[in-house]
Amino acid sequence: MKHKLPITRLSKFFSETDFDLNIQMGQEYLHGDLNMKLVIFRVDRQRTDTDEVYAEVGKDQIKFLPPVEFNALVKIEEPKNTTYKGGLGRYLEPGNMNISVFIKHLEELDIDIRYGDFIGYPESEERIRYYTVTNDGKVTSDNKHNMFGFKPYYRTILCVPAQESEFRGI
Amino acid sequence: MGVPKRKNDIKVYGVKQNVDGPDVIGRRKELLERITKSDTFLPDSILHEDLDLGMLDFVKENFKIISDGNQIPIIPRILTIQRWGEMTNNWTFADEDGNMKLPFMAVIRRPDVQPGTNPVVQRTIPDRRDFFYASVPTWNGTQMGADVYKIPQPVAIDITFEVTIVCTKVRDINKFNRIVLQKFSSRQSYTSVKGHYIPIILDRIEDNTPMDTLDGRRFYIQNYTFTMLGFLIDDEEFEVKPAISRMFLLNEFISSNNYAKKYINKTIEITIATFTADGMQTVFSVGESINVLFTVAINGLVQVRDIDYYHIAGTSKITFTSAPDEGDVITITYFKGRNDTFIDTFGKPLQVSYENFTYDGSTMEFTTLSPIDSVISFDINGLVEDEGVGFEVSGNYTVKLLESPAVGSKIGVVYLS
Repeated sequence: MKHKLPITRLSKFFSETDFDLNIQMGQEYLHGDLNMKLVIFRVDRQRTDTDEVYAEVGKDQIKFLPPVEFNALVKIEEPKNTTYKGGLGRYLEPGNMNISVFIKHLEELDIDIRYGDFIGYPESEERIRYYTVTNDGKVTSDNKHNMFGFKPYYRTILCVPAQESEFRGI
Repeated sequence: MGVPKRKNDIKVYGVKQNVDGPDVIGRRKELLERITKSDTFLPDSILHEDLDLGMLDFVKENFKIISDGNQIPIIPRILTIQRWGEMTNNWTFADEDGNMKLPFMAVIRRPDVQPGTNPVVQRTIPDRRDFFYASVPTWNGTQMGADVYKIPQPVAIDITFEVTIVCTKVRDINKFNRIVLQKFSSRQSYTSVKGHYIPIILDRIEDNTPMDTLDGRRFYIQNYTFTMLGFLIDDEEFEVKPAISRMFLLNEFISSNNYAKKYINKTIEITIATFTADGMQTVFSVGESINVLFTVAINGLVQVRDIDYYHIAGTSKITFTSAPDEGDVITITYFKGRNDTFIDTFGKPLQVSYENFTYDGSTMEFTTLSPIDSVISFDINGLVEDEGVGFEVSGNYTVKLLESPAVGSKIGVVYLS
């Protein structure tokens, strides 16, 4: 049984129909007007061989499921001018990427976004910047991710820039 | 002539073979060779930059770690904050943003260089002064001598380096740790800086991996602190002073084959020097001072002074206005006495006289103005005649032709009277 318990709260003023309508309107804006496209590279955790002691893999040893294009609201933070240690080894760290994605959209694509997956964001026509998921936003029971306290409708996923030694991209 | 490089002549100072053994002497000489590779006799300067470079070379040579099939790159410079930006853009292991790709290793030098603890130079001698290092023979073509090389005691310094590895895998950390600990199993290792062995000590290992946040780039960073027990040698403090000079006098002996001695009245020695021209040479030296020059002839033809050749009185050289042809025989007849006074066997002073005659076709005998003691040279139209073949002294005042020359021929006689 898919639905273990029907949600009846707010049923007088807000129902599944209203919820679906809002999602539909939101998707129309996000997918139609903004049309912000990203690519998810999901790690195939069954086929990827990891190191038996440290569970580490080399950059070319990770096995992926087929990449999937999806729509999301993207917010990228400013790059940080930082150092590796005590002012030495300066580098310009690209800002983290926060994406908001409709749960329904992920269900329609039959994909999940999990900690450790890689997401490609087309920064320009020539370059895709890759990020790795550090917070997959699976817990959505907070007010922000709920529509009027009815039920969750989107996930906020936090991604940090991926190293070339982790993921080489396509 | 260049200054000869006789580095092997530098003695290894203060070594007693019967005490230290021949192997020790040999090793010391070998070490001496290593530090004077640039052929200057003196060791090369070792300054801060050289020691830094020595540490960088040591890391590059010894800390080779393979990760994912490739060697972890080592930043090819001593890391500083100031030059970071401009350097990173030139590195092959930087990404499109100019950031270094992980993993990588870096050598960081702490700016503060401390007074040294190198045991070799710990016993410092007060009142910094120069000490004898070597005496080197010198030769500038005429003078042989020796230079005394002095250098001050090297200054011991301790430099702290941090070798940092930044990577994304514990396995790389493990490899690096293993290599370092194997290399420093006796706590110290050595690098070579301009031939000098410089000890390096492993002080400590620490982990600086950022642990406090998940929402950031994940990497491991470990820091290995080393102390280099170095010393400074500054060639600007070296002192080179000439010690002993000896004048080297060269006496050139000319082969007797080209010289003939002609004795006149037994006490007067006339020298006839003979040379064969090579077609290029214009200056011919008889190797001794010419006091009185009688004749200069090419292939028997007497040359005219100040026209065909020049000679400065008292010198040994004849300088022709143009080089005689190759194979020409040059004959120089001269007297090398200390002055131009000739004394015969009876103590009678003699003078050199020169007279000219013209052959009129009939008279074969010619009368001189002074009595002839002896004939030095006799020529017909400049062509030298030998006594007894072309002429003879027929009387006190006469010389006689033995064969008739062409009518009008000029006859020259140089004689002592």
